[in-house]
Amino acid sequence: MLSSLFFLLLNAFVAFVHASSDYHEQLLLRPLPQGTLLASFNFRSNESAASFEQQNFRYFPRPFGQILQHAHAKELHLRFSVGRWDADNWGQRPWHGAREGGTGVELWAWVEADTEDEAFARWLTLTNALSGLFCASLNFIDATKTIRPVMAFSPEGSHGNTSNLHLLHGTLPHEVVCTENLTPFIKLLPCKGKAGISSLLDGHKLFDASFQTMAIDVRPTCEEGSSTCSLEMEQTVDMVLDIARSKRPRDNPIPRPLPIEQIECDTSKHYNADDTCYPLNKGTEPSWTLEEVFGRPLKGGCPLHEESGLETNTLCINTPPERTVEVNTTGQFTESKLVSDTLRCYQLPTGPDFDLVLPEQKMTTGLVRPDPPVFAARSINGHGQERGSTQSIIRNPSTTEAVEIVYLESLPWFMKPYLHTLRAHVDTSDESPIKETYYRPAVDRKRGTHLELRMVIPPSSTLTLTYDFEKAILRYTEYPPDANRGFDVAPAVIRILSPHSGDNKGIYVRTTSLLLPLPTPDFSMPYNVIILTSTVMALGFGNIFNLLVRRFVGVDEVPATGGLKGILMGKIHRLRAILGRA
Amino acid sequence: MALLASLLALRRDARILKIPPYLSAFCILVGIAWLLVLPLNEYSRKTYVSENALLPGQVHTYFDGSEHNVFRAYRHEVHGLIDQPVKERSQRLEAIFREQNLKFATQKYNYTVSNRTIANENVYAILQGPRADATEAIVLIGAWKNMADEVNNSGVALVLTLARYFKRWSLWSKDIIFLVSGDSTSGPQAWVDAYHDGHDERFVESLKIKSGALQGAVAVDYPAGPWGHRYDKLHVVYDGVNGQLPNLDLFNTAVQIASGQLGIGCVIQRMWTHDDSYKERLQTMLRGMISQGLGHATGPHSSFIPYHVDAVTLVTVGDGWHDEMSLGKTVESLFRSLNNLLEHLHQSFFFYLLLQANRFVSIGTYLPSAMLIAVSFSIASIALWVKSGRPDEPVANPGSTQPGSKVTSKAASVDDNKTTEEKEDFNEKKHTKTPSTKVISDGKDIAIVPAALTTISERHLFFPLLFVLTTHFAGLIPLFLFNHWDEDELPGLYLTAANVTSIVPMGFAFIFYHTRPLKQQEVALIQCFSLLLLGMFLAALATLNFSLSFLVGVVTTPLAFVRRTNHMGLDLAQLAFLAVLNPLMVIQLGTKLLGGDLAEVLIKAAQGWHIWGLWTQVVVWLVWLPAWSVGSVVIASGVFY
Repeated sequence: MLSSLFFLLLNAFVAFVHASSDYHEQLLLRPLPQGTLLASFNFRSNESAASFEQQNFRYFPRPFGQILQHAHAKELHLRFSVGRWDADNWGQRPWHGAREGGTGVELWAWVEADTEDEAFARWLTLTNALSGLFCASLNFIDATKTIRPVMAFSPEGSHGNTSNLHLLHGTLPHEVVCTENLTPFIKLLPCKGKAGISSLLDGHKLFDASFQTMAIDVRPTCEEGSSTCSLEMEQTVDMVLDIARSKRPRDNPIPRPLPIEQIECDTSKHYNADDTCYPLNKGTEPSWTLEEVFGRPLKGGCPLHEESGLETNTLCINTPPERTVEVNTTGQFTESKLVSDTLRCYQLPTGPDFDLVLPEQKMTTGLVRPDPPVFAARSINGHGQERGSTQSIIRNPSTTEAVEIVYLESLPWFMKPYLHTLRAHVDTSDESPIKETYYRPAVDRKRGTHLELRMVIPPSSTLTLTYDFEKAILRYTEYPPDANRGFDVAPAVIRILSPHSGDNKGIYVRTTSLLLPLPTPDFSMPYNVIILTSTVMALGFGNIFNLLVRRFVGVDEVPATGGLKGILMGKIHRLRAILGRA
Repeated sequence: MALLASLLALRRDARILKIPPYLSAFCILVGIAWLLVLPLNEYSRKTYVSENALLPGQVHTYFDGSEHNVFRAYRHEVHGLIDQPVKERSQRLEAIFREQNLKFATQKYNYTVSNRTIANENVYAILQGPRADATEAIVLIGAWKNMADEVNNSGVALVLTLARYFKRWSLWSKDIIFLVSGDSTSGPQAWVDAYHDGHDERFVESLKIKSGALQGAVAVDYPAGPWGHRYDKLHVVYDGVNGQLPNLDLFNTAVQIASGQLGIGCVIQRMWTHDDSYKERLQTMLRGMISQGLGHATGPHSSFIPYHVDAVTLVTVGDGWHDEMSLGKTVESLFRSLNNLLEHLHQSFFFYLLLQANRFVSIGTYLPSAMLIAVSFSIASIALWVKSGRPDEPVANPGSTQPGSKVTSKAASVDDNKTTEEKEDFNEKKHTKTPSTKVISDGKDIAIVPAALTTISERHLFFPLLFVLTTHFAGLIPLFLFNHWDEDELPGLYLTAANVTSIVPMGFAFIFYHTRPLKQQEVALIQCFSLLLLGMFLAALATLNFSLSFLVGVVTTPLAFVRRTNHMGLDLAQLAFLAVLNPLMVIQLGTKLLGGDLAEVLIKAAQGWHIWGLWTQVVVWLVWLPAWSVGSVVIASGVFY
């Protein structure tokens, strides 16, 4: 109980109000069960609205700022995600899920425009520009992948004086996030991965993580009661590293079986022998250092970081007080213990390397991991090429409080849901949990299905949402040119309306994406047929056509002049030729 | 015009009517001969892997060293669970998966078929691929008991060890599901049904955790006890339910990895030794066809195939020098290959006959043989249709020199053409009464033609159609009885059914004789419709389950040739011959020849119908038995004529 109180305090600490500092970065480390480690990187830079208008950029990256200005985007959220958050073991999501996206790429923005068409044109400008900036296929977010959510998102920033804002949302669930997206991401940072916590971001480790998400959030903030506004850009990286896997050296990454001497055997087993070993689960926290798990040393603090006030602490680690944490650096640093010693924060020295060393340790106490407000899982049922059904199971673990959620589905047009088969069922009551429905049906090849449901799940209940769908048959040119394993369906976004998070970021949970196998022709077959028929046509038809319509005449047989003389001369020539040959 | 006229004239040619039986017989002979040449090198091909991504055997396998010690420990653990109740067994297996940091769940299933209860539990664990997005999964199965009802001690231990070993790798692009099913047939079926939400919640529990679309499944069957057993070869089992087969690429990958990378010989269809001779190849193919034709589940993998999840089972056989580690390495390498897949397995063949572990015949080569046999029925049916449109009385032969013939030589000279045409009728006329003739005049032309050629004989379709359809629908009765009666009563039911079906033709014929004797035309039409249906069923079936179509086709070939002769001795002989080919007799004989127990076959069939979704019985009761019954009734009616 006490620890959960700590956690609340911790959340309050982590999500503290964005102060006026111009640049701020922070890394929060939190060991999770089963030898995993959550690392939450957060970089925040401010630019005053006035200097942003004048294109006077200091911490705000210029290329990004110019794109925003060109596309008239007032607030923007961009996500790159790989893997999945294991809520059963890891508990609540970092930032309450507000800084995380569905598998692949997710982008939503409030664009200023007078008409919907203009908004969409600016949205396309935005996606194309971002596509170039982040080396991602964002330009493939077209009308079929764009929706205009009604309930699921609300602006984080203060847009008091701006009217005509249009929210557009697009996802690319199949996009494979990789190093080429990380590099431009790091380049946007003032210290560019050379110093500060961003020096820990290594593509090899980041993309070997069990879960990782990169987020960029831009929003205008205005201080209450004053007219001075500024534009805030927040870059976030959350990753869950498997410590054992991350510690493997890069030159020997193969998890070969350990020598038997290094495996601790359960000697209490009756069959235990030299050649028989039941592996014993030691139940200890594994040892690790920053350099081991991130594959790089932490090269001190970023010198641009604000040096005063609460926010000087750049590196924080959230462990039980009994966990031994040693610091290994040659520079000056300060350590402060917060939230009943469960949070240890360090002010990094500028220049020299900084490392945390945690030895292997047997723990007697642990931190309570609060449950997420809902657990959600979604899967495709049924088999075959024609129909299927989708099933989402959303569980409210709270024993006291009902949860109000908005469930958002953005389906591709070739997955055609039958809305009359939509069933929402709560196991503890017969009342329909659906309070409000927003549905915009798909138009073939024009736009996808957009479904938003506001639902209430009573305490300790499970909601099962199912609907049937039909799979469309695509034209053969509509299949992507690469290997076809099926089509990905974007994750469902679940926004929790109540209990409220307390800030304006909201609480979000996302399901995994789905694989939709569509009837796929064996493409080699039509190509074979086309090639074969073309060859036959070219050779066979061409020859016969030639024979039919052409008269083959020798060059010398062509009469030089017309009239009777010409004909006679021709005859004579031919006669001569025949005689000459004979 | 002239061509058309001569064709139309040819239609009337009596010789045409004599061809079909020979054509039918020719089709059957060619069909069977076709099958017999398939094992030759010229008609079969060596297997090859056509999916580029699989790259079988291209990776180093590291499953060795201390994993062996762990394996031995797990083998003892599993051995200790053999006598435990199911619930404790599941808990212990769950505990091991928990120690490995995997997500796990159990699934109960409880089927009652023919009053026999099949209740057990599946335990499964999901290894979430670190870079996977939960959209795809591959399955490793270790059934608790194998097909021979032995405890799969080392197999389950191997699955547990591999789960621990696979967990350390970060390269998995798909989730891996480790399934320890309660038994080898119903357990995997319950699991895979529930995975696709195709289960009946009264019998099968829903799955608590799921992953993405299944891309492949591999089962290991290694029943060695706690002290191990070195095996000689791997028996790769690939037949699915209803004779569906896994993609040949998966089979090839398994064979290539086992034999090429790890030097373990592979055998198929229980051909423990294979010297690559024609005889052995043929034997392998025929065993494969019988197994495919029966359509029963042959291992834990069988249930996956109807869901388009390609699957094979690796069974260790014999005494040799290969140990559990080499089996583990085979599975490791196979999973690395499956992990490479970018698309669902689709490249290679889904329809094939294997002659050996590395030689196969593809559908284009073998399909004509079953089709030819199906066609032979259609040809007989068409001939019967034509025949039914002809009057019963014989056609006069104007050119006949028989003393009986009343036609004058003058008349013969009027229509010379006809004379030559109808000369062939000579033999038929021998024993018949004198046919009547008719004079037709058209302006100046006068012709004497047999009256039979100008009379219109109407086909009365209602009764023959009704009879054939009723017989086919009557097949629902045995289908229902055999699938719903208690297991103790099934052999008795079978005996009764065999006796009843043997007597029924005579009984029907007797009733017809006393109430409504069958006319010659009706007999022809009944046989025509029955053969037409049979031919079409078999042709359609050949594309779904070639072997079943071929086997049923071969056993029913006499139906295309038996005819009511109205000669008691001949009809009795035909009837006796058909009685031997009674489907129930054939099944009984076949079971005896293959060394099976009939009661067990019946129970398995009922299980198949209720649990696996087996369709073989539909073919037997609704296609084969009715076709045979109709043929027998027709012949029997001749006995009373």
